[in-house]
Amino acid sequence: MHTALLGAGFLLAAMPALSQDAPLRIPSNLVAGQPVSIATAGSGSATFYLSGPSDSLKREVQLGQNLDLTAKDLQAAGRYVAILCSAACSSVGFFVAPATPASLTFLVHPSRAPVGLNDGISGVAFPFDQFHNLVLAPTTVQFQLAAKGSAPNSRSVQTHGGVAWFRTNSGKSAGPLEITASLADLSARRVVQQVASDPCNLRIKGQRTAKGIQVETEPVRDCSGNPVPDGTIVTFTAKNGDDVSFVDAPVKQDVARATLLAKGSVVVSAASGVATGNELRIGGKE
Amino acid sequence: MNSRQRAPQVRMKLSAIFLVFVLSAGLLAQDNSPQVTLNIAKSGPRSVEALTQRAILRDYKFAWANLDSALQSNSAGPLNGLFAGTANEWLQDAVNHQRRSGITSAYLNQRHKVDAVFYAPAGDVIELHDTAEYDFEIHDNSKRIHQEHAIVHYVVLMTPAADRWVIRQLQAVAGF
Repeated sequence: MHTALLGAGFLLAAMPALSQDAPLRIPSNLVAGQPVSIATAGSGSATFYLSGPSDSLKREVQLGQNLDLTAKDLQAAGRYVAILCSAACSSVGFFVAPATPASLTFLVHPSRAPVGLNDGISGVAFPFDQFHNLVLAPTTVQFQLAAKGSAPNSRSVQTHGGVAWFRTNSGKSAGPLEITASLADLSARRVVQQVASDPCNLRIKGQRTAKGIQVETEPVRDCSGNPVPDGTIVTFTAKNGDDVSFVDAPVKQDVARATLLAKGSVVVSAASGVATGNELRIGGKE
Repeated sequence: MNSRQRAPQVRMKLSAIFLVFVLSAGLLAQDNSPQVTLNIAKSGPRSVEALTQRAILRDYKFAWANLDSALQSNSAGPLNGLFAGTANEWLQDAVNHQRRSGITSAYLNQRHKVDAVFYAPAGDVIELHDTAEYDFEIHDNSKRIHQEHAIVHYVVLMTPAADRWVIRQLQAVAGF
């Protein structure tokens, strides 16, 4: 405000304006949301204009007196042009810088990630001030990653151009991964659900019954031992010479089950994703 | 030379004048649209695909043309679909305030030298640094009250929408 006017330097009106007879003196180092007093020179009345990123105002003023701009007039960071018109117009451009961070925008991807994925999870944080200006001054954002059963992992990243980011591998165990970005007393939390990766080492067992060949897998797990999600498809194949039949079955409570109607002696196998299981030889019905 | 003989010459002259008019109108129209170059050499951590670069260039250019149109006509219509979030709110406010004050502004002869400086790993946000050069004019009704040739630096955040990239933050800074 007035202290800024007294303490700081001034940007004198030096524009391709029509006249310099009524210059404006704008304090330097202006910050968003802070009121300011602009000194004018001369005498008589004039029209004052302010054009900014989100604002545009017009006001009758008395030259020689200070012009008070409220905090609301200067909420948006960016470039402003102040114009004073009496007999002629003169103008000056000035910048308003963002205020201190008041919120963090934190984007994390993906929301679900398979375990053991290299650089599979990333996060980007943007600090904004209370007026939604992007805070461009370098500041340190702390990212903390915590998963059940493993020690929290944290890293500090300095913002460049108003952005701090990280990229990391997903963990070994399925379950929620809590990721928190914090800056001073601000924090934003996101959760990535780590899920089992593709099935690994399929094992099947089966027997002939009156209805056909009933086959089922042992609990289907990924290579880290995490049970795969329900609904994962396992394809059972029954082969009897040139006669081949397939049945797709979803995993339900870790196990996929199916009934094959093949007759005679058959070789049954199973596959899910890129994983294949053991072969099972089942003799024909007498 | 009788009037019948003169008629083809008159028609030719008229055709030539019409052609010159059409060509110059076309050239003028070209001059008024923003000139934008986008350099992706400094972007990271994700690399900007050629198709993405073209889309960003197209939409950024279109956004500035429409920003100028909105502030010249004091109509928020041209802003629709090209700006979102804070950028949209600020520009809508600027249009409303201008309309209330009887002021219009114009960004003429725009040239934008844009560098992509950050492209998020997931491809969901890109930060651009734009060194923009334009003739900035402010009018109070029909009276021009300000005119300057300005070189202004902008920090821009764009995010992908359904079929285009939209500007979410358009913040002028003293320098990069």
